[in-house]
Amino acid sequence: MRHTLDIYRRLILVQIRSQLQYRVSFLLDTLATGFQVFISFITLALILQRFDGIGGWTLSEVAFLYGMVEVAFGTMDMLFSGFDPANFGRQVRQGAFDQLLLRPISATLQVFGSQFIIRRVGRIAQGLAVLTFAIVSLNLNWTPAKLVYLPIVIASLVCFFGGLFMIGATITFWTVDSIEVINIFTYGGSEMMSYPMHIYPDWVRRFFTYILPAIFLNYAPALYFLGKPDPLGLPPFAAFLAPVAGIATLLAALAFWQYGMRHYQSTGT
Amino acid sequence: MSIISVTDLHKHFKVNKHRSGLAGAVRGLFSTESTLVRAVDGISFSVEPGELVGYLGPNGAGKSTTLKMLTGLLVPTSGQLLSNGHVPWRERKTYVARIGAVFGQRTTLWWDLPVIESLELLQYVYKVPRERFRHNLAEFRELLELGPFLNTPVRSLSLGQRMRADICAALLHEPDLLFLDEPTIGLDVVAKERIRQFIRHINRERGVTVLLTTHDLSDVEKLCERVMIIDHGRLLYDGQLAALRDRFGGKRELVVDFAEDEGAAADLSVDGATIIERDGPRVVYSFGRETISASGLISLLSARYRIRDLSVREPDIEDTIRRIYEERLLEKPSN
Ligand SMILES: Nc1ncnc2c1ncn2[C@@H]1O[C@H](COP(=O)(O)OP(=O)(O)OP(=O)(O)O)[C@@H](O)[C@H]1O
Ligand SMILES: [Mg+2]
Repeated sequence: MRHTLDIYRRLILVQIRSQLQYRVSFLLDTLATGFQVFISFITLALILQRFDGIGGWTLSEVAFLYGMVEVAFGTMDMLFSGFDPANFGRQVRQGAFDQLLLRPISATLQVFGSQFIIRRVGRIAQGLAVLTFAIVSLNLNWTPAKLVYLPIVIASLVCFFGGLFMIGATITFWTVDSIEVINIFTYGGSEMMSYPMHIYPDWVRRFFTYILPAIFLNYAPALYFLGKPDPLGLPPFAAFLAPVAGIATLLAALAFWQYGMRHYQSTGT
Repeated sequence: MSIISVTDLHKHFKVNKHRSGLAGAVRGLFSTESTLVRAVDGISFSVEPGELVGYLGPNGAGKSTTLKMLTGLLVPTSGQLLSNGHVPWRERKTYVARIGAVFGQRTTLWWDLPVIESLELLQYVYKVPRERFRHNLAEFRELLELGPFLNTPVRSLSLGQRMRADICAALLHEPDLLFLDEPTIGLDVVAKERIRQFIRHINRERGVTVLLTTHDLSDVEKLCERVMIIDHGRLLYDGQLAALRDRFGGKRELVVDFAEDEGAAADLSVDGATIIERDGPRVVYSFGRETISASGLISLLSARYRIRDLSVREPDIEDTIRRIYEERLLEKPSN
């Protein structure tokens, strides 16, 4: 295990080094990535001003949710890039995944270490900016419990999104034709989670409650932090299920991934 | 004790029928209509430590599939396979630590990194002691002439350079066994020769057991004493290369350009050879190894006629394989 982690560290370091070599292009890329997120937030802000909030939430309240999801997705995108379904599917098709199986260390770890894109810090930074803006402009009643729970929620969101990437990557063991559909769940899912759940039709909300436990990771905790009443009638402990939902999703994804690898070896697609 | 022993190995792929259009795709989701491809269909053989074996066969014969099972990438449909004391796919990590493998069309190196950094990463992956790593790298660097491009990123290497780097990468951890799937594909003559010499070197000097596939007969001629030939997933021949040539070598061809004034009227026929083509002063003879040697035929002809130019054509590997395939059908019909 120590050996494996050492290899992971080396794989990441080598990539950081080679990406930092082109300092100017790295800076521009990072700025561009951050800027994209920023622009979409400004657009959202303008719309919210015009309509006086969204589903009864003020701009700052939506910004809180939005920032939380952005920071988490950006962080996940750094850690789980190797599982990005489009990219991973290509690796499988081109036989690059076989090369990982030829090395005497965990293939899973090698996928984790196979892609580390530091310019994604741009996205995390902008997410943090939006989150900070929200926290400053809102008068949140910070209690020690809330202070501790915020990073836990974000970490749980990272696990959740990471799980989605892993599930998407696993599906490419069977088919690569479904990349578009998979992207709807990963990228589309994170987009939808940036807004309060009660604005969506019933069936969407049900999907995000029972199929993907997203509602426990963004909406329910946000209600708790913002001190808002719950229009959906979730049980009071729902706000604290974030770690359970995040870890459960990741564990389920890992199990599916392991199953996918066994299937891959027996079919060779 | 054999280092590889394979008994009645099978690998079958289920290939789903592809239908065109959206309706076809939707129907494909529900119907289970598929065909079975018997990529490897009951193969048995064993390899002794230190052997250098050529594994041959036409396109789609099942060579790569066999190698993927031998390297633990694929789980067989049925049959036994023991290699270097392991069942490859069951004990993947311990097994691959002691083997090297190069699949010609792919690279194990990191695309964006300079070659040397990839090799250093592999040093840690395989836990090669620093001293051994340095010693091996120095030796391989010289034999494979890696020096000029050790600091070049892999993506900017030529095919020949990449292949040499990959072969080096497969051997730095001093494996007992080396699997090479078309290691000379797409390379020029010089690069091919360098790789062949290297393979011979590590086989002879280091005692590495090598199993390689190729479509290039000169690879086999220069490297392998023993060859196995498969087609349609079945083993058709397993034995010495020399015996193979004697038995199935097929006819060689002698192309002769006679001096113009030998005239079209002249007979030009010779015992032991048949004329298979005649185009003005150019005549192509076909002759079997067992009836007459090339030099015998040439001296016969030059004693009788004036010759401007000549060349001998060896039968190529595809030809030999095809003949062997046909011979086997005659001997033992497949069940
Ligand atoms: N993953 C797979 N799924 C379905 N069929 C496969 C798969 N891999 C190989 N096959 C089929 O199995 C047969 C043997 O393929 P294989 O790649 O082993 O041949 P080969 O001897 O290496 O040929 P070549 O000389 O062209 O490399 C072929 O008919 C091929 O189409
Ligand atoms: Mg092949």
